[in-house]
Amino acid sequence: MASQRYALLEEKIERAIKAKPQRDALYRAMKRGRDSRDESIDLLPGGKEFFKEVTATKHRCLEQQDELLEKFANKVRERGASVFMAEDGPAAIDYILKIARERGAKIVGKSKSLTSEEIEVNKPLEEAGLEVIETDLGELIIQKVGQKPYHLVFPSVHITAPEVAKIFRKATGKEVPDDIDGIMKVVRKYLRPIFMNADIGMTGANVGIAETGAIVIETNEGNARMVSSIPNVHICIMGIEKIVDTFEDAMQMMLAHPISAIGQHLTTYVTLMGGRSPLGDGGAAGSRESHIIILDNGRTRMREDPVFKDALNCIRCGACMNICPTSGVVGGHTFGHIYPGPMGIPWTSEVHGLEKAGDFAPLCISCGLCREICPVDIDLPFMIAEVKDRDSQAHPHPTVDRVMMAAEVFAKMGSFTAPVSNWLLSNWIFRLLMEKTIGVDRRRELPAFRWQTLVKRFKKRGPSPVSNPVRKAVYFVDLYANYNAPELGMAAVEQMEKRNCQVALPEQKGCGYPYVAYGNLKKARKAAEDNIGLLASYVEQGYDVVTTEPTAAYALKKSYPKLLPNRDEVRKVAERTYQLFEYLELLDAQTPSDTEPATPLKGRKFGFHIPCHQRPLGSGSQTIAYLRKLGAEVQVVENGTCCGMAGTFGMKKGMLGYELSQTVGEPLFELFKEADIDIILTESSVCAIHLTEGTRIELKHPLEIIVDES
Amino acid sequence: MTEDLIKQFTTKYEFLRGFTHVAADAAEAADIAASIIKEVEGQRVALGDLPDKMMQIFEERCWEDEVEVIKPPYNRSDLPDLIDKAHVGISWTKFAIAETGSLVEVNTDDSLRLVSLLPRVHVGILMAENLVKTLPEAAPRLRDFFSSKPSNAVVTFISGPSRTGDIEMRLTLGVHGPEVSHAIVIRGKNGSA
Repeated sequence: MASQRYALLEEKIERAIKAKPQRDALYRAMKRGRDSRDESIDLLPGGKEFFKEVTATKHRCLEQQDELLEKFANKVRERGASVFMAEDGPAAIDYILKIARERGAKIVGKSKSLTSEEIEVNKPLEEAGLEVIETDLGELIIQKVGQKPYHLVFPSVHITAPEVAKIFRKATGKEVPDDIDGIMKVVRKYLRPIFMNADIGMTGANVGIAETGAIVIETNEGNARMVSSIPNVHICIMGIEKIVDTFEDAMQMMLAHPISAIGQHLTTYVTLMGGRSPLGDGGAAGSRESHIIILDNGRTRMREDPVFKDALNCIRCGACMNICPTSGVVGGHTFGHIYPGPMGIPWTSEVHGLEKAGDFAPLCISCGLCREICPVDIDLPFMIAEVKDRDSQAHPHPTVDRVMMAAEVFAKMGSFTAPVSNWLLSNWIFRLLMEKTIGVDRRRELPAFRWQTLVKRFKKRGPSPVSNPVRKAVYFVDLYANYNAPELGMAAVEQMEKRNCQVALPEQKGCGYPYVAYGNLKKARKAAEDNIGLLASYVEQGYDVVTTEPTAAYALKKSYPKLLPNRDEVRKVAERTYQLFEYLELLDAQTPSDTEPATPLKGRKFGFHIPCHQRPLGSGSQTIAYLRKLGAEVQVVENGTCCGMAGTFGMKKGMLGYELSQTVGEPLFELFKEADIDIILTESSVCAIHLTEGTRIELKHPLEIIVDES
Repeated sequence: MTEDLIKQFTTKYEFLRGFTHVAADAAEAADIAASIIKEVEGQRVALGDLPDKMMQIFEERCWEDEVEVIKPPYNRSDLPDLIDKAHVGISWTKFAIAETGSLVEVNTDDSLRLVSLLPRVHVGILMAENLVKTLPEAAPRLRDFFSSKPSNAVVTFISGPSRTGDIEMRLTLGVHGPEVSHAIVIRGKNGSA
């Protein structure tokens, strides 16, 4: 059963990979979204701090939700509009059908509302004989072809102008030009009578303001203004979590939504609507009405769930979709149920069920970029890990994922049996067997194992020669430097010792991040416990923790505090964890030298790759600064998203692995090939494999560069 | 100070693909409006709830050019078609936000919302003294308005013409609402100047 589920997903991925024009359109849209977002944030008086205020507002309003809900509902009623609290989709739909029947309505004009899509309102209304028309252009286009949104903010980004023209030729029965301006004229003419004659106008609400009982509707096209003003009946569907307390809160949201979505300071139109206004003079009193449907549909339960609670902060900006590497290739039809993209995984799980979320959750490669871009600080990667974990109760992890999670066991085995293991790994028959049995793609160049691990080597060398240290550090190695590149690990040790730092390198385990990535949180917690147990004892004795693998630092600083919450020793280890280069800088600063700093790297040109897990840790800036100090010319080469390797993901055979990984990587490979550089530098051992294969440019760990020169 | 706000507002509104004009008084504003109407060959103009004196000035200016004027109060039975048939809609702006380039209209009758929505060309009239700098400054003004209207109240922020990027991400204007949006800022006081 599990395999059938994956087969379906793989089929969808394959189709998406083959659809290059759609992929390219999506890629451009995402990039544009991210770029203009960055620019508009820079224009804000407080810059990124603004989002912290927004997050605090969201938290505060969710804390007071029961109270605010009551206040909002009372105020709405005082203004003469109706409030209906809908437990779930069917309840909301029944209410709408009842109103439609009572008013003898025929035409429903809708403006874009994700909440109405969440409960799939159109179908039952159409079955009841109503004509339901989406009036947001993007939504209208996909409605005409019976699709779901490809992207949260750009629903029809995958459909080209000539295709749109064809869609409207069919809809209007008239000639429609292929150019965008021509199409717009047709659309304007086509929709106008619908706006004029709709019996019911249906909208969502971006915000509900408790202090006054008004809703806020944001659009660029103005369609929400049409459907909320002309029809006699207005129906708004909104989630409970949209309610804020004050006008000031609402202003923050109005600004945050478009900035985070597309880098616009306000949408062209923002309507604040309280009660129901008459339309001109005369007409029967009471013929104009407004109904606010406040939808729960799992939200109250979500609020009680410590893991998913924060997902209610989501402002539906779609920024996570604009940075997610795999969603960016496959689009929202594959990466999503109704709610697409990274936020779609926890939201689907909570409002549409775990099973539906589990259908596409494996597309998340746990790069963590969605967490970095999220304006309201939702820990999406952790929530997604939880979804994968819960889903694995009913659908055990496939073999290949179990193999990847057990990478440490294989590394140990490979190292213990080297060089035999390496001979096997270089043997195509063995690799074919490996692919067939455990699902490791035979094309992936795997690093050789070393019999003498770093820990063994260090032990053999004897205790640290530093007698009167300025600092003490325990080296947290993770797998690669221990089992595959002990020289690199030794070099790190020596660089620290050279700067008068005493280094400890005890027997240790890997960071266990693959357990988070594939969703086995019990084992992830076990790995975290083991490592914290070891490292905390060193920190107690005044040691710092130093890493050379970005994912290891990320695990200690970002993942463990989530896996083992509210624990003092976890917090202390996180605080004392450093990446090698920032640590070397720290050591240098403690033993200042009088001599002019040498610039041995002068004339060298490097292209630096930032591994995703390094982004929240300073994006490699410390390493880059260090190399530049030595005279190197370092250029960050990036396209703003992941390289696609994502730990072990890119080692897996097939669409949900190697193929998708390659497709994600292509644009970055091209950038490296075009760059004027001699060598690629990256600190991640897995990104290194991917970039080497993808570019065939020489690649090194930055440590190797400074060792060569010292 | 006001000059800085005018500059900031007009710069932003134009960045958002709107057109802006600064007039010394209502009469000059009416002349500007007349030239806009002429340029688009408008024969019928819908007016919003302009202050009485200004309403009269604009109305008379339109008659001079033999442009038909429709004005509030609008009859329910004529709506929405009456306003839909107007070529230009001239609406009154309660205040505006310089930083975001937003005209803010406040209404208690939806017919007035249609004036800045249905015609292909929109002209928003703004008194310079009603410009505020930042969005947060709008909050107390909105609070005052909504609390003075215990039943129905609608506020619309308008930042340029109707726009969409839904086809191939290309910015296109006027898909539903106005394709052309002008803002006329009047320096004089109280709309009576």
